[in-house]
Amino acid sequence: MKKLLIHIAIIVALFFLFDRALGYGLKFLYNKSNATDEYKISYSIETTRDSILFFGSSRCLHHYIPSIFEKELGKSCYNVGNWGIKNIYYHYGLLSNILTRYTPKTIIFEIHPSEWLQVPFSGKERANSLAPYCGISDECDEMLKLSGNYWKYQLSMTYRFTGSLPNLLTGKFGSMDRSLKGWKPLDGVLDTTGVKAEEYPFPVDQERIQLLERFIKDCQKHDIRLIFVESPMYVCSKEDVFKFPRELIQKHHLLFLDHYRDSDFVRHAEYFYDFGHLNREGARRFSEKLSKELRNI
Amino acid sequence: MVVNSLAFLWFFLVVLVVYYLLAPKKVLQNFFLLACSYWFYAQVDLKMTGLLALLTLIFWGIGHGIGIAIEQEKEQLASRLTTLSVVIGIGALFYFKYLNFFIGSFVAAADLIGLHLSWTASHIIVPIGLSFFTFKLMSYPLDIYHGKINHERNIFNFANFIAFFPTILSGPIDRPKPFLKQLAQTRLFNPDNLMTGFRRVLWGMFMKMCIADRLDLYISAVWNNFEHHSAVSILFASLLYPFQMYADFSGYSEMAIGVSLMLGFKVAENFKRPFFSSNISEYWRRWHMSLTSWLTDYVFMPLNIKLRDWGTNGTIAAIMLNMLFVGLWHGANWTFFFFGLYHGLLFVPLMLNGQFFKKAKVKVNSYGFPIFNITTKMIGTYLLVTFGQFLFHANSMTDAIHILEHTFTNLEGPLFIDMSTLINAAICSIALIYVDIQEEWFPHKKLYLPKFAETWRCELTIAIEIIAILLFGIFDNNQFIYFQF
Repeated sequence: MKKLLIHIAIIVALFFLFDRALGYGLKFLYNKSNATDEYKISYSIETTRDSILFFGSSRCLHHYIPSIFEKELGKSCYNVGNWGIKNIYYHYGLLSNILTRYTPKTIIFEIHPSEWLQVPFSGKERANSLAPYCGISDECDEMLKLSGNYWKYQLSMTYRFTGSLPNLLTGKFGSMDRSLKGWKPLDGVLDTTGVKAEEYPFPVDQERIQLLERFIKDCQKHDIRLIFVESPMYVCSKEDVFKFPRELIQKHHLLFLDHYRDSDFVRHAEYFYDFGHLNREGARRFSEKLSKELRNI
Repeated sequence: MVVNSLAFLWFFLVVLVVYYLLAPKKVLQNFFLLACSYWFYAQVDLKMTGLLALLTLIFWGIGHGIGIAIEQEKEQLASRLTTLSVVIGIGALFYFKYLNFFIGSFVAAADLIGLHLSWTASHIIVPIGLSFFTFKLMSYPLDIYHGKINHERNIFNFANFIAFFPTILSGPIDRPKPFLKQLAQTRLFNPDNLMTGFRRVLWGMFMKMCIADRLDLYISAVWNNFEHHSAVSILFASLLYPFQMYADFSGYSEMAIGVSLMLGFKVAENFKRPFFSSNISEYWRRWHMSLTSWLTDYVFMPLNIKLRDWGTNGTIAAIMLNMLFVGLWHGANWTFFFFGLYHGLLFVPLMLNGQFFKKAKVKVNSYGFPIFNITTKMIGTYLLVTFGQFLFHANSMTDAIHILEHTFTNLEGPLFIDMSTLINAAICSIALIYVDIQEEWFPHKKLYLPKFAETWRCELTIAIEIIAILLFGIFDNNQFIYFQF
């Protein structure tokens, strides 16, 4: 028994030694990485000081060109949107971490049904992208706890970077052009064969709604102007997808700029890369239109 | 609850502590093990726990009857009871696993000749691990009848053999003799067994979570949407698939063997580096060894003896039937039938040139690696196995034909690359290939470590393996390919 306990003690000691050493090494690589996910999270949390931040998922990442908004509004902008159908668990965690360092003046939030519906392919695990930044804000840690992985991140620093070693070593897969301030253009034109409207036949998720409300209240507490936007889709659902956020936004006296069915874009394949994402030209036209609209508000 | 889940970890920790606290008292230890096994099975498939207990009772009773008949020299009775046990075993398998398949196939065949039958398939739930524990059940009366073992007087010991929780879901398919012998011995706390078992569990987790599940991300992305992928992508995914299957099933077997060892049991090995086989016969001696050796002993050998008057043709017929059993064991689908037929056909050239019964001696070069000719044969065997996976992986024969047609007619288009997934999988696969090469060709050579670290080799290996699993593993996929069988 004594022999076994010595074995276990050595294994535990070696594990913590290797785990901590590797964890710090990976964090260093993470901060240096140019890969989209890693770079954007690290930049958003550790560096950005811009007045206007664009929040959202891939539709935010590809649709909002900060330079156009800067020119029109005269304020510095950064697009913190990230791909992978991120939802309110991720966005709230990200906002909380950013708020520990500085307060942006305006947040423009490209809202997606996964912020309030139980979308099965976008659950609590989306917060796990913030694992390298666990321990920065209580709210972000709360999101990681909801995802069920917080204790694992506490136990192992290596686990915070699981699966991301190739990206961290090379930093080249899906790399970012830093001069675009977080925007990632898509080049190509939509092939319209078989394109159908995206439907969301999922029930409302009370937990997500509460988090969305907390997101709104935190913005109000920090005097951040919060504007919700829905950018265009190539084909639209017949249902009123945004009925719920409209009600919520009215309740909190916020702005909702709904371009979901914008006739300048809907059924214009030349502006789309795929049915849900604008291409470079589409993003340029949309950013110009939205920035003018914002200037006049 | 699967072996690489947190729920299993907690369950197993409690089992391990109590199990060794009961250690000097063998009967208590066995009884506790049986309770744990049934609790474990109930967690996985509560509804079928009763069936497991019932089949166990029936087979134990029949085994008892055969034993007494043999003692009283009632040969005919023993033979009839043995036949009855085989009928019950195959009947259970047939009812739960194959009935719907046969009804469906019969109705479809009748439809072809203009007979429109209104038979509908029944809603039958296949008990998890059925193919594995039924084979264990059937080997017991057969072994008693053939004089390999005496009947087990203690039903709890027999029930322990059938329901042993590390192996009930997906094997290895253990034989009664070695297992019951170990049950009869007192299993005391042994730190060496614990460490060796733990290392095998970790290695299995590494294979499953870091290689099989990573490769699955790529392979499923291609195979599940094959219409949208180029021929080169499908071929590349197909080439990776046998390796994924190996990492998945061998990984599970390693975990099952490791957990068993931690409880003081040595169970059957299931894999012996199958991709170093220079022909298909050797491949099946190294792949899912506990199944192939079971079928060799209980299907191929009796058939071969029965058909020996036909000479080589008799052996070929025995092999073909045996391989059809191998195929259909995996599931009730024509794809598995043709998978078995395909592998059976691959044996024919070996039979005809007399290599089937020969154990090939591998020639090595001055560096200790196999010579070029042998390496070429190994690659050839891998490619033959890969082609067979088109049948194994497809949901139906129509799907298999579509995939093959798509692969060999749409030759244009780029290779789908998911760089991050492939690099993660490649790093871990290199580690697996390195270990396999070392065990196959240099079993006595150890990786060099500086003197101060040499004394901690075991601890270092375990710590590095845990770190590797945390860094490369996928933690939200608890499905094993072989659970469906």
